Amino acid sequence: MNVLGERDDVLLRRAAKGDEIAFTELYRRHQASLYRYALRMTGSPWAAEEIVQDVFMTLIRQPKKYDSDRGEVGAFLFGITRNRVLKHLERSPREFSLDQETGSGSSGMPVDLLTPAFWAERRERVEQVRDAVLSLPPEFREAVVLCELEELTYEEAAQRSGCPIGTIRSRLHRGRALLMARLELLRDVPRRASAGS
Amino acid sequence: MKCEEFEAIGLDAGTGRISSGEEAVAAAHAATCSRCAALADSWEAARLELSVFAGATRQAEAPARVQMRLLQELRAQRRPHQLYRRTGIIAAWGLAAAASVVAVVSWQNWRTEHARLVNHRIVPAVNNQAQSSPAVDTVLVADEDSGTFTPLPGALPLSSDDGAVYEVRMQRASLGALGLPVNEEGGSDWISVDLLVADDGTPQGVRLHQNAAQSLTAE
Repeated sequence: MNVLGERDDVLLRRAAKGDEIAFTELYRRHQASLYRYALRMTGSPWAAEEIVQDVFMTLIRQPKKYDSDRGEVGAFLFGITRNRVLKHLERSPREFSLDQETGSGSSGMPVDLLTPAFWAERRERVEQVRDAVLSLPPEFREAVVLCELEELTYEEAAQRSGCPIGTIRSRLHRGRALLMARLELLRDVPRRASAGS
Repeated sequence: MKCEEFEAIGLDAGTGRISSGEEAVAAAHAATCSRCAALADSWEAARLELSVFAGATRQAEAPARVQMRLLQELRAQRRPHQLYRRTGIIAAWGLAAAASVVAVVSWQNWRTEHARLVNHRIVPAVNNQAQSSPAVDTVLVADEDSGTFTPLPGALPLSSDDGAVYEVRMQRASLGALGLPVNEEGGSDWISVDLLVADDGTPQGVRLHQNAAQSLTAE
């Protein structure tokens, strides 16, 4: 049965009845964006994997939690993901994974055919930015992730965060300022790894 | 534009989040304000680094094992449902079969009972009829032709329409009790006669059957 053209709520109803094809299609549509958000917010591929799995487990076990009157399935899934991410950050706010694996088996970065030095420098720069983003307080981090990394509009970011646009703008403003300060600092201070050598 | 306004919207230049007019005003302000120009430069560098970081994770997606685990969970969730569903289907079919059997048996019983009641209704009617004619095996309604009835001595002339005709089997000697002359030699013979009986139960006439009549004639 063709599921490609089906709406998310139809797929969810079918998945709730045990339709694996419908569930797989629903998972395929949303897992990447949820995983990326969780990964960028937590900095840990393991945590992101756990969170995404948890979100879809909730969908399997309690499909009736979704209320179509309250929004799209995607927004519902993002809401659960966001709650899980915030809980994770509350539990381990300073737990940064230095693992570069993004969970897809590769690093997620395009294969660079340039010199190893260029690749190493680029990788180091990515780590610096990642650490800087992860060092932001969760609410500012979320604004930066949604507006700068996910490139959502203010309206979309506000909708996902469940707060007014003004709040998102304010958080983004603060987040940018903190981020710039961190990145300036990281640019000036040698990396721990290189400092040790 | 003031510096506070530039901080609020100036960093969104080039993102499509502000209008081209606002971008122009912000650029004009940056051209005249070194602090805001430095801020814009710093943010531009940070944005480049952010875009590299974003690019590094743009293709990231959950590992395939997550999907496998979820499908396993989905199957595990479905198994009890299937079991319940199968049990439900079996129970429904069982109930339907039981209901059919009950319906058939009830119908059969009803038919039997109905037939019995109909027979009951007929048999009592027949019995009643038999009881109202006490000599059903021995008393038969004789020919309505009363012309051949011999009036008994002392009896008033009676039409057969006014009385009942009974066929009676009796010994020939019994005719003497009715006042008729009887040959004593054949007095013990059984004969069949028709008795014309009045409403008050008294016999009014007698009609001998052919053999009896012949025997009487022979006398």
